Amino acid sequence: MPPKPTMRDKHLKYVLVAPAVLVVFATAIWPLLESLRYSFYAGRLSRPDFPQAFIGLENYTWAFLEEPAFWNSLWVTLLFTLITVFLTTFFALAFALLLAPGGRFRVGIQSLLILPFAMSPALIGVSFRFMFNPEFGLFDAFFGAIIPGVADIAWLSDPTLAFWVIVMADVWGWIPFLTLVLIGGLASIPRETLEAGQVDGASGLRILCDITIPQLKPVLAVVIILKAIFSLKTFDLVYMLTNGGPGDATQTLSHYVYFNGFKYSNIGYSAAVAWLMVIPMVLLTYAYARLVFAKESSD
Amino acid sequence: MALTGRQKKLIWNSIQIVLILIFTLIMLVPIAWIALAAFKQHVDVYQLKLFFTPTWENFRIVFEKPYELGEKLKNSTIVATATVLIAIPIATCAAYSFSRFELRGRTLLLVLILATQFVPAVVIVLPFFVMFRDLGLLDTLQGLVLINTAIVMPFAIWMIKGFIDGIPIDTEEAALVDGSTRMQVIRNIVLPMAAPGLVTAGIFCFIIAWNEFLFALILTNREAVTLPVGLALFKAEEGDLWNLLAAAGIIIMVPMFILALIIRKHFVQGMTMGAVR
Repeated sequence: MPPKPTMRDKHLKYVLVAPAVLVVFATAIWPLLESLRYSFYAGRLSRPDFPQAFIGLENYTWAFLEEPAFWNSLWVTLLFTLITVFLTTFFALAFALLLAPGGRFRVGIQSLLILPFAMSPALIGVSFRFMFNPEFGLFDAFFGAIIPGVADIAWLSDPTLAFWVIVMADVWGWIPFLTLVLIGGLASIPRETLEAGQVDGASGLRILCDITIPQLKPVLAVVIILKAIFSLKTFDLVYMLTNGGPGDATQTLSHYVYFNGFKYSNIGYSAAVAWLMVIPMVLLTYAYARLVFAKESSD
Repeated sequence: MALTGRQKKLIWNSIQIVLILIFTLIMLVPIAWIALAAFKQHVDVYQLKLFFTPTWENFRIVFEKPYELGEKLKNSTIVATATVLIAIPIATCAAYSFSRFELRGRTLLLVLILATQFVPAVVIVLPFFVMFRDLGLLDTLQGLVLINTAIVMPFAIWMIKGFIDGIPIDTEEAALVDGSTRMQVIRNIVLPMAAPGLVTAGIFCFIIAWNEFLFALILTNREAVTLPVGLALFKAEEGDLWNLLAAAGIIIMVPMFILALIIRKHFVQGMTMGAVR
């Protein structure tokens, strides 16, 4: 009789997990802690003896007290996150409701939705810069045609408009994927619940508000948190589309950290700001994990 | 005019179709416009022309000096392929163990692995830059493979775990009773059954590594530049060279479109890591 499998696997199960855990922790936990350490130092990247001097919390107080640019990027990031989370969720939900009934036409459209998602954000940034070119951009021409006042506007040179172009590009890039996620969520609502509503003679709108949306809540929550996490991190799109400009009108926190660290070579300060970003991330990730695991244990 | 229920339904359905078409148009027009621009001559880009004489010229120019997109294409291919070849076996071992065994701290580990996915890249890249500089890994493909392996690992573990969870455990137990070792079971039973899942996860990781931008931007400057970062080449003094940018864009996105369509069915599940089922 062979020995019990579980006995034999006592060590193997840890051996199998070890390399992956090592990779993940060495490449995430270590740099996180190392960044935290940098944030207490004055450090110029250009010098080899990095980091140079322990200065305690000075990098943090500097950000809070002496840097309007930090507050600006914080504000831009928060505004960007709020608006993009709202718009993407709204449009993705609308699109998902339209596409969910199925049939050949709708399923065909669903598979097309995969295309924008396979595009890298950097490339989306380039595309939108092209589309909003004041001389020959397609969107510029389109908006010029429907709203006469905005013909040939230099979108990316105007602080407010540039911000909205970034918002549009981001929303455009995220709607398809979140739509697919929500279609998945809609498909998991039991048919009987919906049919019960129809039998009772409830209108389409009533069914949507009273049955569909409440049933969809867990998936919606996941979508909102996931989108918030990625909105807070936004970098590629901004870098390629406006590079933070004009001035610092579209500078997100990630972009601000990048600029301070790698353009001004001020690594200690940049690490401190980066760490300020970690805090909301931890909260959002905690909420996301709670939701995901609540589902897992209820299965 | 009173409408019957049937007529109402018909009208509502038509409105839906129109809305869907408008949405789809908005989604596809930017992609189509870039695709068109890639075949336009320099002068045609600067007029909103829908009809023009198509040319392959742009695709030739981007591969020539000074752009040499071929080098970037090679780098991107090597980095993404090596990343997948290293990450998938490591992730598969871990995923199998997470799926089949009672591990101490299993849930906590899985949550932490998931959580690393959400750490802002700008936080991580600072220490890596310093370390790579000290080790001479800046601007090398090895460095990028290391980084990308780390980036895709959480995705890969979660996705593959999901696939292995779906494989019934009975065959494995029978084989163990018959005297197979655990490694034989994994090789002969689990791997063949999980193969479609592994391919899906592999393609998924390939797309992520291919599109990765921030690390490649900061950690390379000449030798190891990848395609997305290479887009910056087409900013000239006289402005952006849009027809060349578009051609480069096509070279970046078309392979990913094909890969994405292959794994379409599992795409969403993989991205949300099992949050939606």
